Order: sequence, then structure tokens, then C-alpha cells
Amino acid sequence: MQREEKQQEAILQAILNRVNDLKTAIQALITKLETEYETINWPTFLDNYAILSGHLTGLSKILQAEIAPQLRSLVVLPLQLGCKRDEQLAQMTEGRVPACTHDLVPDLLRTKPEPQAEQRLQQFNHKASTLNYDTAQKQVAQFTKVVSHVWEIISKERENWEGESMRASGIQPTHNMADTHALVTAVGTGKGLRLGMPAIVPGVGGPGMGPRVPTPQMGPSSQTMPKAPSTIKTNIKAANQIHPYQR
Amino acid sequence: MSAANAAPITATDSLTQALKANIIPNQEYLLQGSVLDSAVEVLLHRLRGLCDNVDAGPETFDDQEVCFSLRDPNQQAAPLMLRVRKALDARDMPFQLRYIGQPDLGDKNRPTVVRSSLDIACSGMLIEFLNELGCRIEFEYSVKGYMFRKGRMKITVAKVFKISQSAMPPEPISQSYLVELSVLAPTGQDAIAEDMRAFADQLRPLVQLDKIDYKRLGHMPS
Repeated sequence: MQREEKQQEAILQAILNRVNDLKTAIQALITKLETEYETINWPTFLDNYAILSGHLTGLSKILQAEIAPQLRSLVVLPLQLGCKRDEQLAQMTEGRVPACTHDLVPDLLRTKPEPQAEQRLQQFNHKASTLNYDTAQKQVAQFTKVVSHVWEIISKERENWEGESMRASGIQPTHNMADTHALVTAVGTGKGLRLGMPAIVPGVGGPGMGPRVPTPQMGPSSQTMPKAPSTIKTNIKAANQIHPYQR
Repeated sequence: MSAANAAPITATDSLTQALKANIIPNQEYLLQGSVLDSAVEVLLHRLRGLCDNVDAGPETFDDQEVCFSLRDPNQQAAPLMLRVRKALDARDMPFQLRYIGQPDLGDKNRPTVVRSSLDIACSGMLIEFLNELGCRIEFEYSVKGYMFRKGRMKITVAKVFKISQSAMPPEPISQSYLVELSVLAPTGQDAIAEDMRAFADQLRPLVQLDKIDYKRLGHMPS
């Protein structure tokens, strides 16, 4: 029993530490916002949110961990509510909660979402479950389209902007998208390379390759076609005949 | 001969076994980009600083590639494309026959294009053989440039030329060098793609190496 209590205390302490960390982080954020709002570097300020979310994740990890069920089985039972100022309580909460009053307790000891929020959630769930599959798919597709369109606009603007800022700072662009596409398509599909293909002049392609390309045989593909399968067939037959002798 | 009788392991058997063990590097991870002629020296300089094989200056290559297609007699399926490559600067090297599959770009979380790729060294009879098989030449080009290595990664910076009809000097496709970063690996080694992305980031903003779908570009009116 004693061991359990000790364990519980340790967990509570850990949670308390995490909450305090979170609190200091929020405090720092607010102070910064209030005192340095004129000189603040906004990207660094946004990093503060990352710190906050880090603390929150840490906290929820402790609560989710295997040790937490012990806490879940404990009950907080409010015995008495009153409007009188409770010095001890005020001190514990750093002056934020001076008394255990009727309008504070429902919020502080809440374990479920607010009725209003719960109702809305139910409404949404209901709406989602009654939605037709096709309609949902259509809506998703539409949404994706809109998002990708917006993304396109933004990235285009960004490209322009980056290009401009590069020009402004005097750096010459070192690559060209159109050239990249031309090169990749040329190598991949032969775009721009096909002109005058049939005529391969021996010697230009190099003695290793050029003369071996039998230009006259190229001709229209229909002539070459029927010949091909027959060649393959004979080859296979020949191979089959050879095998039995080998083994 | 007697050894072959005792253990009749054919080439097919060992190939199947290798396929099963997944040790054949048949996937190519690829990023592509380009650099303007004016900036290529800067890029080469940076690559010399980053790559492994630079003790004796950058390695050069000068290849000619011919792309063949083998059409289905019924004209149903898309033609099979085969590429033959020959080094023009090292004539004793074998021809390279290469099959490249459809590029798979995946979603935006995938760092590189992945396509299946099979390479094999062949003798000079290859072109004759392909012609006999019914393959026809689709297009050809020559590519001349530099090759770098960084671990398993291969980086090529090369100029692509049209093969000219007459004695005129070959005509470049554009005023840029094609830059390719690729790795050949067995199926499922996706970790290398992350390394490639990291390496590509080191070449920015000089070159922007990206996943490029030439199939989609081909239909664009550019």
C-alpha cells in the first residue's frame, strides 16, 4: 500500500513538473509579446509555439503511459463549496483561485466536454455518418482541387519572388527550368531528337556504332514487323532441340 | 563439363535465386536538373569538393545512345523501349544495353523518382541483333560530360547533343548541362533516397535537382 502511494506521489510530481514547465513557457511567451512586440523577430517567436507543443506532448505522454490508470481510478469529490476566501487555496494557485465557488468548480473538475461542444460534436458525427459515399468522394476531390490550385498559385508567386530577390541581390540565376524540362524530355522521349532519324551517316556515329546500323533495313515498321516473331520462334525451337542433347 | 553434370545449375537458376534473394540492383533512384553553361564551372568546382573520385580531376565521358523500340505486332501495348549506349572515348569498352521502366514519382513524401532499370554489357553485335529482332531506332543522341561518385551515388553533368547528319559539329539541345543524381539499388532500399535528397540540397541553389516526370512534360506545349 505504501509503495503504491509513493508511486502515485512520484507520478503526480512528474505531472506537476511538466505542467510547471508548460506554465513557464506560456509565461515567457506572454511576457515577450507584451514587452518586445515592437522589436520581435516573428519567426523566432513562432518557435515558441513549437516549445509549447513539445511540452504538451510530453504531458500527454505521461498521462497516456501505463502508470496513469492508477490516477484514473481515483476520484476527486468536492465536499463543500463556499464563497469565503481560502488563503491556502489562493496561495497554492498563486492567487488565481481565491475560493472554491460554484461558478469555478464545474470548469475545474470537468471530465467531459461542455454540453454545448458535445452536442455540436454529435451533430457533426451524425452528419458525417449520413453522408453518401459518392458525395463525400466528390467533395474531397473538389477540396483537393481547390487546395492544389492555391498551392500552385503560391508556389508560382514564390518562384517569381525568389527570382526577383536573386536578381536584386545581383546573383545570376544558374539554372533554367525550361532547359531542365527540354533536356529531360529529350533524353527520356527523344523530343527534338527524332528529326531526320532514318538517315544515319556511317562515320558520324563513330565507327563502332554507325556502320552496324543497317540503314536500308530500317524502312517502314510494317515491313520489319512480321519478320520479327518468326525469328524469335525459330530461336526458341532451336534452343529446345539443343537441350535434350546436352543433358 | 563434369562439374556441370554433377550440379546442373543453369544461368536461369542462379538468376532466379538472385532475384529471390533480392540482391539484383534493378531499381534506379533518380533526381534530375540542369545548370546553365555559364555556371557549370562553379558546379563542377562544388562537386569536386563533395565527391569521392576527384583525386585526378573529374572523370569525363563521351557516349552515344540509341533508343530502340520493339512494337507489339497487334499494336496494342505501348512499345518496349531499349537503349544502347556506346562510349565514344573508350572504344574497347562493351556496348551497354539498358531497359528503363516507367518512372514512379509517388507522392510528395517520396524524395526521388524510382524506376526499374536493367543494364547489361554487350558486344558490338548487339545492334544487328536488335534489328533482327524487329527493333527500330526511335532516336539517338550523344552525351558528353563529367561523372562524379559519392558513396553509392552517381552524379553526371553532361551536355546532350543532336547527332548531326553531315560533318557539321553536333548541335546541343539547349544552353544548359543536364545534371542527374542516381543510385542503382535492389528493391526496397528506400533509405538511399533520403541521402540523395540531402546531397541534392547541398547543390542548391546552383542546381535544383527534382523529380521530373517527362511523360507529363511531353504533353505540355512548351
